[in-house]
Amino acid sequence: MFVPLSYNVRSLLVRRATTLATAVGIALVVFVLASALMLAEGVEKTMGSAGRPEIAIVVRKGSTAEMGSSVEEHEVGLVKSMPGVKKVNGEPIGVGEVVVVASMEKLGANGITNVSIRGTSDASASFRPNVKVLEGRLPTPGADEAMVGMRISGRIKGLALGERFDIKKNRPVAIVGVFSDDGSAHESEVWLSADIVKSSFGREGAVSSVRVELESLASFEVFQAAVEKDKRLGLTAMRETDYFEKQSEGMSMFIRILGSIVAVCFAIGAMIGAAITMYASIAHRKREIGILRALGFSRLGILASFLFESVLLALFGGVMGAAAAFGMGAVEFSMLNMSSWSEMVFRFVLTPKILVTSLVASVAMGLLGGLLPAIRAARTSPLTAMRG
Amino acid sequence: MNEVSPAGEPLIRLRGITKEYTRGGETLRVLENLDLDVARGSFEALMGPSGSGKSTLLNLLAGLDAPTQGTVEVDGKRIDQMSEGKLASWRSNHVGFVFQSYNLLPVLTAVENVELPLLLTPVASSERRKRAETALRVVGLTDRMGHYPRQLSGGQEQRVAIARAIVNDPLLIVADEPTGDLDRASADDILRLLETLNRDLGKTIVIVTHDPAAAERARITHHLDKGKLRA
Ligand SMILES: Nc1ncnc2c1ncn2[C@@H]1O[C@H](COP(=O)(O)OP(=O)(O)OP(=O)(O)O)[C@@H](O)[C@H]1O
Ligand SMILES: [Mg+2]
Repeated sequence: MFVPLSYNVRSLLVRRATTLATAVGIALVVFVLASALMLAEGVEKTMGSAGRPEIAIVVRKGSTAEMGSSVEEHEVGLVKSMPGVKKVNGEPIGVGEVVVVASMEKLGANGITNVSIRGTSDASASFRPNVKVLEGRLPTPGADEAMVGMRISGRIKGLALGERFDIKKNRPVAIVGVFSDDGSAHESEVWLSADIVKSSFGREGAVSSVRVELESLASFEVFQAAVEKDKRLGLTAMRETDYFEKQSEGMSMFIRILGSIVAVCFAIGAMIGAAITMYASIAHRKREIGILRALGFSRLGILASFLFESVLLALFGGVMGAAAAFGMGAVEFSMLNMSSWSEMVFRFVLTPKILVTSLVASVAMGLLGGLLPAIRAARTSPLTAMRG
Repeated sequence: MNEVSPAGEPLIRLRGITKEYTRGGETLRVLENLDLDVARGSFEALMGPSGSGKSTLLNLLAGLDAPTQGTVEVDGKRIDQMSEGKLASWRSNHVGFVFQSYNLLPVLTAVENVELPLLLTPVASSERRKRAETALRVVGLTDRMGHYPRQLSGGQEQRVAIARAIVNDPLLIVADEPTGDLDRASADDILRLLETLNRDLGKTIVIVTHDPAAAERARITHHLDKGKLRA
């Protein structure tokens, strides 16, 4: 019923150069598509993984990010005393922090970028159990000392262990430590005492957000109701995971859409390339196809055979593209995070789903690009075999 | 080999065959009101000047093409009105083909080429290989099974084509100038082989040829001229 698959495989191998050139076109598309999806995944991972479900974050109603939010100093204690908050030795667990953005000079590349500076309380580090000091030590509370997240350490002028930067004119702060936080967005921040940040940026009397640890995952509803009941406070509570997910949503969506648009444009070119290759190959093999038809292979059998060949060709390209995208897993780069307007470092994260999507995309390109040529092949008259 | 139906009934019976081609509004009549019988187990040759319609006639009786008018009956079955798909499947079951040149798929080995017609039958793959090997033994190419067409001489290529034509045990073998591209010695080999298939295996064979030596081996030679058979 069907032409043997080895016929198609070997026909592709015989035309090594054209096969390779066509496959590279498809590989490029798959590479672009997979890279964009991997980057979007990386953005979600970087930003989303900062959150823990048992933490609730409270910001000013109407603010979507810590950056634009302001919570009065006296409200911090109020929020921490709300029901649902975990207590240890009668003390509620929570931190009020101020987040600002400062422009700093990039190293290696020219230009200025924004860096998130988190004004922390004494409890900030212990509040996040994943925070580890990799080098140096924690800053001394109240001193002009800071620690820097591992992802921006060494990428920005003054932000490396033993160096110093000016938090405002003539107010140098020494970097005494480098920390990690299990890949979260905090790794792209600078941490120092809230008092210094507040006084340097003129934000006395207020913080940006309050985070509390909940008694249990289920206590969130009670806590949220209590926070939002008091209209005079004008505050809103979110689970930290939801908060970060929201932060990354816009950006990862943007990357996905942009990546897909670029990939679709490239795909049109690659499919035309595949179609041209298949047309040429079929024109060249007209006689062979005529012989198959004369021997009794049906039009459907011929159609299937050439569609298979084109899909195989595309899949070969797809595997190449996916392999190249896999290599992107080693690449890290920093760019402006559009929701906090600060520099963040992103990675390309490959997931099984992205791999499957890439290969499905290449198969689809093979089918679409190969359809018209395969139809032409299927129309070949058996009489073609007879003509000398 | 093939069951014999009522004695005297020809295997192939063409009646009132007219074939016309229309090209650019002009109609070209290639065959005109032609009758032809080919007996079972016969070896017949079609001869005639170039353009006289030999290939056209062969294509009609092999089910590669349909006549403009007239009937084509093979083994008691009308094939002139079969649909494309039906005809393809009929060919795969009843006809073996040998063409003038480039008979084989270049990317398949000799034995894989011979196996091709069996892919259209329910024969299991191990049995396929066995039958293909048997067919290659019949044409004397046991030692060339794994060779690709480019590694074979013209004569050997034609032998592989003949092996492919018999592997399905068809009613009828048709060959359009099977020796047209061969030197004298290879051509004689091929003709001897066809003769053997006809004599020992009882295959009905119809060939088109320009070669008088080829025609001599056939039991009956038909002369075609301007679309008509000369008596
Ligand atoms: N598909 C076609 N369309 C138009 N004309 C055709 C077609 N096939 C054959 N012809 C014409 O029909 C006539 C007979 O062709 P055919 O191939 O049967 O001749 P032939 O006897 O086999 O010649 P040769 O010895 O050169 O092979 C020729 O004039 C040819 O040009
Ligand atoms: Mg001819």
